[in-house]
Amino acid sequence: MPDATTAVDFEAAFLPHLDAAFNLANWIVRDDHDAQDIVQEAYLRALRFARGYRGGDARAWILAIVRNTAFTWLKRNRGADPPAEFDENLHAADSADAGLEANAMRQADGDAIRAALEQLSDEFREVIVMRDIEGLSYKEVADAAGVPIGTVMSRLARARGKLARSLRARIEKES
Amino acid sequence: MNCDDARILLHAHLDGELDLARDLEVQRHIADCPRCTPEYSAMLALRARLKDESLRYQAPAELKEKTRRAIAIAPGSTPASSQRPPGAYRRSMRLLLPLGAAAILALMFAPRAMGPSETQQLAREVVTSHVRSLMASHLMDVASTDQHTVKPWFDGKLDFSPPVTDFSKDGFPLVGGRLDYLGERPVAALVYQRGKHVINVFMWPAARDTTSVERIETQRGYNVEQLTIAGMNCWVVSDLNRAELSKFAALLKSHG
Repeated sequence: MPDATTAVDFEAAFLPHLDAAFNLANWIVRDDHDAQDIVQEAYLRALRFARGYRGGDARAWILAIVRNTAFTWLKRNRGADPPAEFDENLHAADSADAGLEANAMRQADGDAIRAALEQLSDEFREVIVMRDIEGLSYKEVADAAGVPIGTVMSRLARARGKLARSLRARIEKES
Repeated sequence: MNCDDARILLHAHLDGELDLARDLEVQRHIADCPRCTPEYSAMLALRARLKDESLRYQAPAELKEKTRRAIAIAPGSTPASSQRPPGAYRRSMRLLLPLGAAAILALMFAPRAMGPSETQQLAREVVTSHVRSLMASHLMDVASTDQHTVKPWFDGKLDFSPPVTDFSKDGFPLVGGRLDYLGERPVAALVYQRGKHVINVFMWPAARDTTSVERIETQRGYNVEQLTIAGMNCWVVSDLNRAELSKFAALLKSHG
């Protein structure tokens, strides 16, 4: 990895991860336009911090900055309206017929998954986006989100569980 | 292992993030526990659905350009033009690219600290064999589009005779075969082509008591399908997209 101090080296190291950066930003703020602004701002921040970059996983490094930029942006612009989170207790599915859940998962289309994912709270949504959509390893997710690997594992387990219950509730309501 | 632990660890198992001992423990629990088995299949299905490309937001083309410009004029950044002679960028890329390739290779072949389950290990071997066959100009020992040339070629080299069919009329021409080594035994590798994509099919006789399994997964960007055809273990691997690879697998199965 180059000493990322010049614009050229910086570009070579981090610009290839622009798609991943945009995907994560868009899933956090859920607005195409804002996501673009956040990615640009994050890259400029990253450029300022680049002297502190000591090699290692460039993607996890830039995603950590994108993530912080996006959450700061959210706090500043939407402090008052956190998304209505899916309440498992309201839609408590009987765990005894969890077999139905696998069927529901197979029926779920892209739109249903997107809607259910948008309803998850930020911390749950981001681990699913980073691990399942972006394909990061647990270690990379841990680096990007600034939490221990064990937390990544348990958070991912809870996030997928919530997502599955919410999807199932959605699909059963439709049918 | 109790259910609470298993409910968390089954995710790490699905993601290939557990060491071998833990992984086996989780698998055993899932297989034996009537409450965790359905949870496991639900999570398996959910995980597969999350791979849907439509869930990934695509960055608009102009964002890259805009960002590049913003970086170049940012205060504090040292623009390349004032610092470096023309061509420096290309030169630095020439230095960087082999480094990048070396890093990728190191990642591909580095032993993982946390061991995968046996099947995942095999899937990894399949992908590695596929990649190696493309890199080492050792794609084929016998290059022929004729199934009646390829099939007899394996005689005497293996203790079984793999089913060999040419699917040219379906758009998957047979291009050859070779011997390979997987899961600690010699196996038949058939090579097919779809446009510019190469498909490797690895085959060897299934143990008598194996039930037929069918799985599909993605490993390092390659799609891998596992199936059982006419008593043969069969692994299909390619960089071809999933839908087309499944079509190919269905063809294989119908001629098995």
